[in-house]
Amino acid sequence: MSVEVTVRVVFTDGFSHRYTGGRKEFQLRTRNTLRGVIKALDARFPGLGEHLEEETTVAIDGEIHDEPGYFQKLREGSEIFFIPKLEGG
Amino acid sequence: MNEIKKPYRFVGTQPVRPDGVPKVKGTAKFGNDFSLPGALFGRILRSPHAHARIKSIDTSKAEALPGVKAVVTGADFPDQNFAYVGPERVAVNFWHITRNVMAREKALYDGHAVAAVAASGAAVAAKAISLIEVDYEVLPHVIDVEDAMKEDAPLLFEDMITRGIDPPPARPSNISKQLTFEIGDLDAGFAEADEIVEREFRTAPVHQGYIEPHATLARYDPDGQGEIWSSTQGHFIVRNLTAKLVGMKLGDLKVNAAEIGGGFGGKTVVYVEPVAMLLSKKSGHPVKLAMTRNEVFRATGPTSGSSMRVKIGAKKDGAITAAEGEFKFQSGAFPGSPVMNACLCAFATYAIPNQRTKGYDVVSNRPKAAAYRAPGSPISNFAVESTLDILAKKIGIDPLEMRFKNATHIGTQTIAGPKMAHEGYSETVKAILDHPGYREPLGPNQGRGAASGYWFNGAGESGATVYVNADGTVAVATGSPDIGGSRASMAIMAAETFGIEYGQVRATVNDTTSVPYTHVTGGSRVTYASGLAVIGACETVIEDLKARAAMIWDVDVDGVVWEAGRARPASANVGDFEPMSLADIAAKAGATGGPIGASGSVNAGGQAPGFSTAYCDVEVDPETGHVEILRFVLAQDAGCAIHRGYVEGQMQGGVAQGIGWALNEEYIYDEDGRLDNPGFLDYRIPVASDLPMIETIVVEVPNPNHPFGVKGVGEVNICPIMAAVANAIANAVGRRMQSLPMSPPKLLAAMDRREGPEL
Repeated sequence: MSVEVTVRVVFTDGFSHRYTGGRKEFQLRTRNTLRGVIKALDARFPGLGEHLEEETTVAIDGEIHDEPGYFQKLREGSEIFFIPKLEGG
Repeated sequence: MNEIKKPYRFVGTQPVRPDGVPKVKGTAKFGNDFSLPGALFGRILRSPHAHARIKSIDTSKAEALPGVKAVVTGADFPDQNFAYVGPERVAVNFWHITRNVMAREKALYDGHAVAAVAASGAAVAAKAISLIEVDYEVLPHVIDVEDAMKEDAPLLFEDMITRGIDPPPARPSNISKQLTFEIGDLDAGFAEADEIVEREFRTAPVHQGYIEPHATLARYDPDGQGEIWSSTQGHFIVRNLTAKLVGMKLGDLKVNAAEIGGGFGGKTVVYVEPVAMLLSKKSGHPVKLAMTRNEVFRATGPTSGSSMRVKIGAKKDGAITAAEGEFKFQSGAFPGSPVMNACLCAFATYAIPNQRTKGYDVVSNRPKAAAYRAPGSPISNFAVESTLDILAKKIGIDPLEMRFKNATHIGTQTIAGPKMAHEGYSETVKAILDHPGYREPLGPNQGRGAASGYWFNGAGESGATVYVNADGTVAVATGSPDIGGSRASMAIMAAETFGIEYGQVRATVNDTTSVPYTHVTGGSRVTYASGLAVIGACETVIEDLKARAAMIWDVDVDGVVWEAGRARPASANVGDFEPMSLADIAAKAGATGGPIGASGSVNAGGQAPGFSTAYCDVEVDPETGHVEILRFVLAQDAGCAIHRGYVEGQMQGGVAQGIGWALNEEYIYDEDGRLDNPGFLDYRIPVASDLPMIETIVVEVPNPNHPFGVKGVGEVNICPIMAAVANAIANAVGRRMQSLPMSPPKLLAAMDRREGPEL
């Protein structure tokens, strides 16, 4: 069954300048997976979903995920930060 | 979130390592140990110039030499689109990558590959490259990062416009990218401070110093398929990059990871593999291509050198109110330094409400920087932890007490945006504060220094396959080259999950056609991410084993439980059945559905960052400037040490490399931009006699996102080492060293111009 949640999404300055006209923060009502967030953002800014998947690491409630995965679960009030991708040595 | 399962039978022990006997006996096969019938010897011609336009390359004389089977230049590689794709930090641009593998329009550093040959013997190959005539137009060069940023600096790319500035600058420069991160109100934060310290720092580019040079064997078949054997930290990455650079389908290229003699981040990219594959394609023979040490130093990635400015303000009680850092990083001849990591890690161990970090990615005529153990973090750490040490002294507080007071905790706002989700840092500080040696008195010319470090740790994509053999032994296959003990840790986690003996499990590193895609062994990710894939596969197999036991007993699967390596009836009501072992069930594999096995795949997140804190005691010889390390103690949060000996080994290795970075290692270029010290005689990494016994304190604050509580352990150990040594030297001689390496000549000069003690 589809569960909807309200979440806060934040981009970095650089990312927001490139893709969202400088807007950094969004409150979204979406399905409770990251796929829902990506779809909602892609609907507002066509093509943004691909940029998010290719170029970012995502932090959900402080937990860092190297790559945004559709399956990542969200809760009511989750904070989602899309930050430039990290690589190690 | 997982429930942490304790106590363990094997997790936390240190059983015999699976690769021990082959390595001790010399039968383990490293990159240069592979050969095939008819294999040719490859050799690369390298630029003697730091910066030169390549007007023409005449290979005719080399091609005419008897025994030469193929010659390639940059023109033989398919060109690539100019586009930054994929991860932003590494700014992957195949137009750049293919030009680093083989120069085209310009040679951009001493040692840059310009042509390659494949010949019937090594001597013929050496003769052949001497016959290749390259017409160079030598151009002005630039080595230093500050020089490279000047308006009148020679440009490596005449059309490079700095990214990350809005609006983009009108004029090209060597600054490929600029980035800024900020939280709070920096001015207000500094206005609150009672003490402010601002200093400038320099670090030298240092090489990863792996003992085994890059080596590969490549075979291109007439039907378009190919196979590679390579010394690499990621054979899937070798496959992907080589296929792209040579023009092959992923499915046509199989890559095998050899045993590896060190990598430390430097073997996560390709240098020789695409060249060997193209030589094989052109010659019709397999081609071996191995670098010399000289080539490794001149043409493979060191980590960045840097120029930095750090400013930190604090109240009299030690509370940090504001922190600012400016980090200028050399990326080498192509964009892509780890400056973003430096910006994000710089102050990450502290709860500082007002922060700003600014980074510059700068090209210069040096080899392209590659990852090195927590890339970027140790560099900014040296500046930050040195500055913090001075600030603590000005305030009059123990430097570790100050760190403990300002420690990050769950919920701390980070400069990257999200709030910290894990503990572990303050526990490492406490471990050092409680160490009996930390307050022991010291002698003349001796000093003690402490510092802390942070690293994100990685996770991401990994795959594994697990099979049960007919005798009940278990095969665990991953795609993670074993660079730090992963076969042992995978076997331990599989044994623990199944509830069987460690000796029943054989872990292997399989080729790219035998296991699902797996990202590199790097970023301290393998024990966590590949471990999750292995555990997942084991759990799938256990469910299958329970179903097969139910079939054998002719009961419902709900009536079977898995305990201590055996299928058992869930209760007496199910029936009176003898528990069945893996071997018992495997003996009936045919009757119950065929071979027993499963694959596991993850795109893992929630890996938890790494934290470390160290202190060291040093003695400085006032006559020579030589620094003797008397004692080194490192506390690191491992979450849960799967194989304790390997965890301690990683910690000791990180300290040893950090000591080299602190005291001796640097690239020395002559006035023509040629590297003057491309060998271990003149580029001095620490040897055993330079080092004390490195004491390790394994802190274990479990990561709730892993069944055993694992956090990555491979990298954060190096982060605080240079600052700890610098802080100890400052306390020993009253001079603050702000430039690495703190080599005897530099230290003597600092002591000679003594004008009063510095903090």
